[in-house]
Amino acid sequence: MNKASKPNPFTSISDIATINACIQCGTCSGSCPLSDQMDHAPRELFALIREGEYDMALKSNTPWFCVSCYACMVRCPKEIPVTDLMYAFKEIITRKRTAPKNQKMPDMYRAFSRIIKAKGRITESYVMALYGVKHPLDALKNIPLAVKMILRKRLEPKALSVSDPESFARLFELTEKSEDKA
Amino acid sequence: MRICFYPGCSYASTAGYKESTEAVCQKLGIELVVIPDWNCCGATVMFGENKLRATALAARHFALTQAMGFEEIVTGCNACYATLGKAARLLNEDAELFIKTKDVLQALGLTLDRIPKIRHLFEILTKAMPDAPSERYRSLSVGAYYGCQLTRPHQFLDKGGYPEILETFLERIGFAVTDHSARTQCCGASHAVIYKDECRNLSARIIREISDKGAQIITTICPLCQFNLDQAQTGDLTPRIPVTYFTQLAGLALGLSATSLGMNKLLVSAEKVISRP
Repeated sequence: MNKASKPNPFTSISDIATINACIQCGTCSGSCPLSDQMDHAPRELFALIREGEYDMALKSNTPWFCVSCYACMVRCPKEIPVTDLMYAFKEIITRKRTAPKNQKMPDMYRAFSRIIKAKGRITESYVMALYGVKHPLDALKNIPLAVKMILRKRLEPKALSVSDPESFARLFELTEKSEDKA
Repeated sequence: MRICFYPGCSYASTAGYKESTEAVCQKLGIELVVIPDWNCCGATVMFGENKLRATALAARHFALTQAMGFEEIVTGCNACYATLGKAARLLNEDAELFIKTKDVLQALGLTLDRIPKIRHLFEILTKAMPDAPSERYRSLSVGAYYGCQLTRPHQFLDKGGYPEILETFLERIGFAVTDHSARTQCCGASHAVIYKDECRNLSARIIREISDKGAQIITTICPLCQFNLDQAQTGDLTPRIPVTYFTQLAGLALGLSATSLGMNKLLVSAEKVISRP
């Protein structure tokens, strides 16, 4: 199968057509606080998708380094919702399980999401502990800080929770099979 | 005045955001009516996992607010503000998403008919604070730090690139402000927690810029901004400058004690700076 006839995995994204307006000025990549960590910063990622390089786009680390600061989105001269697209890319990449293996953020997001599903609310130390199962070094690096937080009575000893976590978790089940537009 | 308040998950474990918000609101006669049984807004995670789920998580509060009889939700966290605001915008624009979200909430026993207005605590206090209740801090130079999500992407509150509302507020309530160019630079947000080395310079350049321009204290509007800028000041990488919440400075201006404003919870102490402004 040649490249041009490969199906575009991003067609379900409601705003995806906006990238056709991209003038490749690079304002997005230049505004991005973490573009130095990205393999294909936003300008390049849009170019890849337009060229039909879908596999490279699906395996890109770029959406995972998006900090959601929205600097790209407010500066884009063609008003492309760059940050919103990064969210939609993450949703598709997660569904297709194509995130780079060494990427830490998908594990962090998974831990975060699991705690919300279990408790309804986030307790930072619980997210860190769950994430730390896969990345013990990162968790250990945060111990000196955790000690300072304990001394200032800022670490929650008990997990925060909604009143009825079991019925709250239904929100997750009801949206589980959602094949909605990203 | 009674406001429908969404605290968010970080609120209670911050360096005094809760204490100072409550103390200042009490002094100004603002009653914080916390949304009973609130949940995590989904932060920057959920929209990258499942759009309907992200919208439903946020909209659960819209239904709870409706049941309380309020038209607005007030939050003090920039990430909650942006996330709830994003969900509200999507639900207002996308009728299909609204119906699907309504159905999910209905299955949880909640009714959603209308979308409340999402407001930031900063807006409320800006209106409620009197002009310079004290002249004591007139020479204390404050570096205002907005972070990312307060004025972006919706820019309802102020210009995204060069906002001035925080400086205007600080001068009006009796502080000096230091102009600087780091006001909306990103601190690394949640990436700073697991990408420590990669994000170190993001916080460091903000702290250096504000300190180099002559500020004695930094003030922030967001739990995560305060946390990142405060905890980044270790070793020789940056000068040491206290990082406070705008509510703490508002409290000082109102004559409240630093301890009652939770300022003993800051990592870099503000004690010296505020005792000799």
